[in-house]
Amino acid sequence: MHADETEDEDAAPGLRKIIHVDMDAFFASVEQRDDPDLRGKPVAVGGATGRGVVAAASYEARKFGVRSAMPSLRAQQLCPGLIFRKPRFDVYREVSQQIRAIFRDYTPHVEPLSLDEAYLDVTEDLKGIGSATRIAELIRQRIRKETGLTASAGVSYNKFLAKLASDQNKPDGICVIRPGQGAGFVAGLPVRRFHGVGPRGAEKMARLGIETGADLREKDIAFLKANFGSFADYLYRAARGIDLRPVRANRPRKSLGGERTFMGDISAGHALHETLDRIADIVWGRIEEAEARGRTVTLKLRFTDFRIVTRARSLPHFVSGKAEFVKLGHDLLDEMLPLPLPARLMGLTLSALEGEDAEKPQKDMAQLSLL
Amino acid sequence: MQPALPGDSARAPQGDRNRTMKATIERATLLRCLSHVQSVVERRNTIPILSNVLIDASTDGAVRIMATDLDLQVVESMAAVSVETPGALTVSAHLLFDIARKLPEGSQVGLEAADNRLTVKAGRSRFQLPTLPRDDFPVIVEGDLPTSFELPARVLAELIDKTRFAISTEETRYYLNGIFLHVSDDGQPLLKAAATDGHRLARYTLARPEGAEGMPDVIVPRKAVGELRKLLDEALDGNVEIDLSASKIRFTLGGEGGVVLTSKLIDGTFPDYSRVIPTGNDKLLKLDPKSFFEGVDRVATIATEKTRAVKMGLEQDRVVLSVTSPDNGTAAEEVPAAYSAEGFEIGFNANYLKDILHQIEGDSVELHLADPGAPTLIRQDEKSPALYVLMPMRV
Repeated sequence: MHADETEDEDAAPGLRKIIHVDMDAFFASVEQRDDPDLRGKPVAVGGATGRGVVAAASYEARKFGVRSAMPSLRAQQLCPGLIFRKPRFDVYREVSQQIRAIFRDYTPHVEPLSLDEAYLDVTEDLKGIGSATRIAELIRQRIRKETGLTASAGVSYNKFLAKLASDQNKPDGICVIRPGQGAGFVAGLPVRRFHGVGPRGAEKMARLGIETGADLREKDIAFLKANFGSFADYLYRAARGIDLRPVRANRPRKSLGGERTFMGDISAGHALHETLDRIADIVWGRIEEAEARGRTVTLKLRFTDFRIVTRARSLPHFVSGKAEFVKLGHDLLDEMLPLPLPARLMGLTLSALEGEDAEKPQKDMAQLSLL
Repeated sequence: MQPALPGDSARAPQGDRNRTMKATIERATLLRCLSHVQSVVERRNTIPILSNVLIDASTDGAVRIMATDLDLQVVESMAAVSVETPGALTVSAHLLFDIARKLPEGSQVGLEAADNRLTVKAGRSRFQLPTLPRDDFPVIVEGDLPTSFELPARVLAELIDKTRFAISTEETRYYLNGIFLHVSDDGQPLLKAAATDGHRLARYTLARPEGAEGMPDVIVPRKAVGELRKLLDEALDGNVEIDLSASKIRFTLGGEGGVVLTSKLIDGTFPDYSRVIPTGNDKLLKLDPKSFFEGVDRVATIATEKTRAVKMGLEQDRVVLSVTSPDNGTAAEEVPAAYSAEGFEIGFNANYLKDILHQIEGDSVELHLADPGAPTLIRQDEKSPALYVLMPMRV
């Protein structure tokens, strides 16, 4: 799956102009747009009851510490006036189409990351504007005018920096990292801001005396390899503001899934099965949203010692529906029980998605079946 | 016939508790026997005893060697030069095999067990190997094997050769991971063997042997098929006794004192494969299997992993084989053939075609075709016991 990354590097020469556009609190903002009563109030999109989780939170709610993927009950404790709204994926998808149409007015090189986020390569823009900053501003204006929503944009010469930049002045902001500024920008950032560095990674880096991009840059590749294994190459480049990945339009999705860390560690089988049901609900929602079909279901558990174990099952056909998806998940869980240690995280993923075969051996596509 | 297995309580020798045993065996005999059983033992084992072979020397001068992977076990008896102390123990299969291989030709190998060690002596070499108790060695419980029949070893070997290449390796459809054996009565009593991986099907038919009537449908797992085929190579002139139930099958080669292979059967239902065997394919192509094979092999040189498809352009009395690869260019070859039906193009996986052609004897092969999307029937002629069905590729 990662083999194409090396190819990508070869295919991305020269200085580029990359924009990362990210809608602000997307789902929640759409709800606030469509219901004036919600404006200026803390809003969460997701299931309010018992086992629901927050899919998105408005900036008013974020002030209270409400975050996406947080159990709804916990969110309500943090923010007693929190207003819940059920997600309306049809509407979000519609808005997503609108903003993508805007992007495509400026460049065909649009790589959507999700409904509300995309990379644009505007090295050569369709309107001959020439300035990436200008294009980013025009796009933000048009999004506001045409959808009534705000977006933040990051402008730089690669994807890594553009994404860091879009986060810099959120919401409704723009940030430009010009050629020559990348390394300096990264040097001042806490490593936690690097895409892919989570709380655990940041903790480990802190132990090694790495707090910022500058600290990271001082470490040589051998040191990084010894401590971070295959992650080292990425870190080495990131610390220097280097990212050669091209913007890939129509990049095929490899998998769809979700995971969550439990509030408390779980080891009992029935509790794990219940948790699995909840995760499967969320993940199946995403699968339906993406209209994806896939053949492989993977269950992932992270134990209290942070060891990760995965079990996967592949079907000869696409998973037929939610019932089969959930059942496969439970079968996989049963295979893992009893657990050697309590689990702190569970994830469920659908992969071997439809259309992926096109890249793989043609044989599977072209070979007809007897049975 | 119910050959006594080492697990039988009646055979538990006195000295077993201390794992004592002393016997002398010709190196060639030991090596041959170990080579038969050791491949059953998986190279990587998490359960130590499964890495071992059981060696059981009895008073009558016979030494039995047994290996298992819990689904499949092979027991072979060999004549010892002498058995001084009867007894049984288990020892690493691959170690003992490697040692036996390297011992000097023509030597006699002394095996002596004491104090949880097996001493292997030959000439001036001496090895001491750790052992595990025989009682820990798992033996497949055969249960009743009510169906019994015999087949000439040659026939059984041919049955395997003509079908095993089509066995599926895809674990999700585990019930295709073996050869399906069943009896039927299509005008005459038959025993049929079939294997398929969903892309091709191989079937071998023979007259139902006496004793096979009423036998349950069984699927013999791929590994058992492979081990059995190896054993058959050294016993091609004899008969093989086959005893089976719905869950186990036992093959006895070389009569008493020979090799006994017992395997669990795949617990699943083999699909009704008869419905995929085409009966109305009216476009008949006949050609020389050797030049066909070689032609396919040559043009497939161009084919990459991605595009293994070979296109066959059927024309009046000739076939044009061709491969087009985006990376490697193109290849084409004309093969003379007998064909008088309407011309068309059809594609096949080159390896699948070669697998089948490899099994065709004689100087002619028949392909019964319908259209580029329909199963094609391949056989030597209408009298041949083997029949193949191959699904085309879109080209």
